[in-house]
Amino acid sequence: MRLPRSAFGWLVAKEIRELTASASWWVLLVAIGPLVGVTFINAARTYAEASGLNGTSVGVGEAFSPLVGIWSPTFSACEVAAVFLLPFVAIRLVAGDQQSGALKIEAQHPMAPIVRVVAKVIVLVGAWIVASLAPLAAVLLWVQYGGHVHAPELMTVAIGHLLNAGLTIALAAAAAAMTEHPSTAAIFTLAVTVGTWVLNFIAAVQGGFWETAAGYTPPAMIAEFQHGLIRLDAVLIALAFIAAGMALTAIGLRHGVPMRRRIRESLTLAAATAAVVFACTFVHSSWDFSENRMNSFPAADELALENVHSPLYIEVNLAPEDPRRADLEHKAIAKLRRALPKVHVRYQSATSIGLFEQTSPHYGEIWYEIDGRRRMSRATTAESALENIYELARVAPPGEGQGDIFRGYPLAVYPNGAATVFYGIWPAVMTAVALIVNRRQR
Amino acid sequence: MFCAQHLTKRYGRLTALSGVSFSVRAGEVLGLIGPNGSGKTTLFECLGGVLPLDEGSFLRNGRPMSERERASTLFYLPDAIVPWPSQTVRWAIDFTLGFFGGRADLKADVIQRLDIGALLDSTIGSLSKGQRKRALLAIGLLMPHAVLMADEPFDGLDLRQSREVGETLRSYASAGRTVFLSIHQIRDAARVCDRFVLLSGGHTRGEGTMAELAALAAARTGSAGGDLEEVFLALT
Repeated sequence: MRLPRSAFGWLVAKEIRELTASASWWVLLVAIGPLVGVTFINAARTYAEASGLNGTSVGVGEAFSPLVGIWSPTFSACEVAAVFLLPFVAIRLVAGDQQSGALKIEAQHPMAPIVRVVAKVIVLVGAWIVASLAPLAAVLLWVQYGGHVHAPELMTVAIGHLLNAGLTIALAAAAAAMTEHPSTAAIFTLAVTVGTWVLNFIAAVQGGFWETAAGYTPPAMIAEFQHGLIRLDAVLIALAFIAAGMALTAIGLRHGVPMRRRIRESLTLAAATAAVVFACTFVHSSWDFSENRMNSFPAADELALENVHSPLYIEVNLAPEDPRRADLEHKAIAKLRRALPKVHVRYQSATSIGLFEQTSPHYGEIWYEIDGRRRMSRATTAESALENIYELARVAPPGEGQGDIFRGYPLAVYPNGAATVFYGIWPAVMTAVALIVNRRQR
Repeated sequence: MFCAQHLTKRYGRLTALSGVSFSVRAGEVLGLIGPNGSGKTTLFECLGGVLPLDEGSFLRNGRPMSERERASTLFYLPDAIVPWPSQTVRWAIDFTLGFFGGRADLKADVIQRLDIGALLDSTIGSLSKGQRKRALLAIGLLMPHAVLMADEPFDGLDLRQSREVGETLRSYASAGRTVFLSIHQIRDAARVCDRFVLLSGGHTRGEGTMAELAALAAARTGSAGGDLEEVFLALT
């Protein structure tokens, strides 16, 4: 093997050795196989039954997209691994140097601390990519069964989970660098994760600002990637948080710096990150990579909407927990935000659940306004929203039957062999590789 | 080589180092001597850049040393660490040589002198305290820095090993390497060091050769100094 020549090369090589020497990394690798197996097998079985397996009604699966039916649930195993296993791998790699005293030696190199952090992050991202071989095995099995794969939407899901892993790594690394003990770092990392869940819960109840903030949490971000949607603002915000986590790690790992200066630098970093995140919320570019255009209106409608130049105001009289509000948001408003340059939405309600507002005369009304002209509707479908907008904007709607119709890819095949691969071969191979690698290193 | 001037380090209300000053000369073995809790490790960690100093400076040829200059001149080998515990001694030596750009030409000699050839394929975490100390000293001696600072280099070594390590350190010093050792066992220090810095309660109590310190002790106490232990007791 050719030896690395630069100090950075030596550092990366060292981090790889430390990674492969850590039990947490092998536990992640061994566990992710069965995790992916459970989700993939269940998803493939449900997909097969809906597609007509064992005499179930053929036709239900006509609108089936592998993105929703297979990849979203299968890759959700990666989300579990990123939340509950990956932090320990990252904490081990960062805190290990502090605990053993190796950092006292390594930190004497004039290399900038952020470069040392970059070496660790490169190795940890590489570790995640290796762990992603498990969902890749699911893709190969799916193709072998005769399943359809639309590469752009699959890549979108994988990128979403890679970004989520990056966020987890940055958070765990920063926690490990800033705390005295790895267990404190682990508790802090999990507390932040639980905090994002709490934020999502509050958002569902309160709406408003909380709903906007919750839209940028890792679970919300992943949900959009799993629907084949890449939102530039979400990507930029995730990258900003990853960079901030790495910088915070570098501040924590730097030796010989007074605590007051570290606190000052950390606060400056937090303020700068907040400013960048706020600026990113004004970015509205997004790309729908789903084959069935599930995040977009039909192409003909999007073409017609290009003729709507005036701002669109929507007033929605629905409570945050009213399922019609979520319906309207996902089926119409999210798509309108992508299709129109200026969409202003105002949600109004007196309560969070809306149960006791049903008798209120205006509850349930959805008002659309363009150039001072207003129309009211109670329907939460995309068709209703478009009909009102065309009418208000005095734009001719596209004719019937224009645009492609997504027929879906039903597949009535039982996932044979998947259990053997994920519950047997994968753990056995990973265990064997762990033993061989550790033996070779000694 | 360089002078340390008025080094002060505080932990909240506790002053661990108070205006510590001394000089380090090229090619010497300098011993930092003091009882437990005197501030030896704190001083070494400040010199090694691990801890921030509250006050003080380093001068070289009369001008202040930059942080980068200090880092490229001094290499600090801490006590009581088990770095890269799951890696072998061989790998640790190769890694530090490559990472710091160390003296690969000295590798065979250092391994032979410190008698760690048999330990090369053992993991660092599996070594005894004395074995680990010798392995880490090997790393320190192979570093390219002009000054090696070792905290308690004889801790965990038996008598024979202490003597062999002492001879090795003296040998490298006579070849031009400057060695600065923090030692709480005065007998070890007397055997190995050319000059001494006496530290007690965070203050410098004396600096010089054995003869210079004995004279200082005699001047302070009025009695002629004996060995280093008596001089140390007289001055601290």
